[in-house]
Amino acid sequence: MRTRGAVKFIVWTAVAIALCVYALYAHETGKIDQMYYYATNLDGYAVNTNEFFNATKEKPALLQIGKADEIKGLMAVPVKKGDRLPKGANGVIEKKVAEEGKRAKVEGDKLVVTVPWQIKETKGFKYKDTFIHKGVQTDPWSGAWNVAMTIAIGLALGFMAEGFTDLLGWKIKKIEQFGH
Amino acid sequence: MFDFTVAGHVVPVFLLVLTGFTVGVVGGFIGVGGGYMVTPALIVFGFPGYIASGTDACHIAGKAVISSIRHRQLGNIDWTIALGMVGGTMLGVELGVRLLNYTKAIGLSGVTLLAASVIVMIGLFVYTQLETQKSHKKLEADQKAGKELGREMKVSKMPLFFQRIPIMPIIKAKRARLVISMWVIVIVGMFTGVLAGFLGVGGGFIRVPSMIYVIGTTSHLAVGTDLVEIVVSGGYGALRQSMSGNVDFMAVFFMIIGAMLGAQFGSLATSFVRGPAIRYILSYSLILATTGAFLRLIYVLTGAKIEWLSFIAVVFTLGEMVFLCLFICTLVYFAVRYQHGKSCPAWVPPLVVQAS
Repeated sequence: MRTRGAVKFIVWTAVAIALCVYALYAHETGKIDQMYYYATNLDGYAVNTNEFFNATKEKPALLQIGKADEIKGLMAVPVKKGDRLPKGANGVIEKKVAEEGKRAKVEGDKLVVTVPWQIKETKGFKYKDTFIHKGVQTDPWSGAWNVAMTIAIGLALGFMAEGFTDLLGWKIKKIEQFGH
Repeated sequence: MFDFTVAGHVVPVFLLVLTGFTVGVVGGFIGVGGGYMVTPALIVFGFPGYIASGTDACHIAGKAVISSIRHRQLGNIDWTIALGMVGGTMLGVELGVRLLNYTKAIGLSGVTLLAASVIVMIGLFVYTQLETQKSHKKLEADQKAGKELGREMKVSKMPLFFQRIPIMPIIKAKRARLVISMWVIVIVGMFTGVLAGFLGVGGGFIRVPSMIYVIGTTSHLAVGTDLVEIVVSGGYGALRQSMSGNVDFMAVFFMIIGAMLGAQFGSLATSFVRGPAIRYILSYSLILATTGAFLRLIYVLTGAKIEWLSFIAVVFTLGEMVFLCLFICTLVYFAVRYQHGKSCPAWVPPLVVQAS
């Protein structure tokens, strides 16, 4: 009984550790984050509005236009409808708005923002009328990955605990539902 | 501190492990997922509401797997009933969600939902509490008369009515030792599924009393069987939530680590007690959750202006988690004392077994 318990405990502990390490590795390497992304619902420039909350006509914010996977500081990444938004983006300035030039305009390789964008929060995303997004999108396999990992970790931890009590020699008997 | 990148929040890991542990104890003991406790807790920790709800759904599935493994060892699962209920529940949840969308479309959802949950839960609490008190008294009387006490004691005659319904196919649930129409099991699953889908909860606190009072299983079997049911329905819910991007897997991960310990304790604790003890904790869980929902109902009815009502509702829900966990620990403590021939309060002996 104890030998079987020990084997069970060792095997399932190894499985549980492997799964936990894999989960932490997936987090550290950004694999989990990559399953979640926002997609833009319009053509324009992905920006981080926190970087130019104090922009004015007198003191405009100059955002460097260019392709990037992550927005760091005053950057504007051109995006088209349906594109995955770069990391750090919390809004999109519509192309039409930039062409009108009232609140933002393109000058060479810079996007000049002349007003502080008033923002309000919704579903983890900040937007107003000009900041429209499709909502959070996920990799089609992320749901299956999450559930499979949850169930696998649950199974490994459950059997590991069962093996542990067997190893200790605890006699866990079936409850007599109808007996005394 | 851990940076939960999907939730966009930094939270101390121990808070999530502790939440998992606490809900693991309660869930393992009374057979519920504990969604009505975890979601508010995650919101208090700073998770956005939709991430809290999705993360909770996913964690419930993992926790139910752990508890089910232990309940299988304890013989608390009737697989025939579990499989029969799964089908009905899935269908019921879909119907419940559609009903919810309909009430939303006619502009009734918030108040209707809360009012419905308060009515359902008060009804379940009153019935469970009255029946359990009667059973407790009967156990006390039998003990005084020197009779041997059984693991289960129920005074409700309701299951007999449902077990006599002669609609084919009639099935035999071996572990639960009952013969019943499959349709009763499926319809109970469907009905509780509708309520669960409509109220937006896992539904364990509706299914467990339904299994005890309608199908007629023992309290222990209802707990274990419901947890198996939660693995399937929770897994389905987790899949849907994950595909909507509402799950922070790392938060699920840390809660499952805590739940592993809590679920072991909660599940093993059932071997120390008789059926009415489980039903007492279940009924207290129901009334505490109802009070939280009632506070939120008043908050909504007063136009969401009295902020402290919402705050108290959340604090109450968190307090409930700790209270139930301590109650179960106390019960096990007294059970162990009783088994070793030491003194314990007079209400304890009829509720616990002499040798587990």
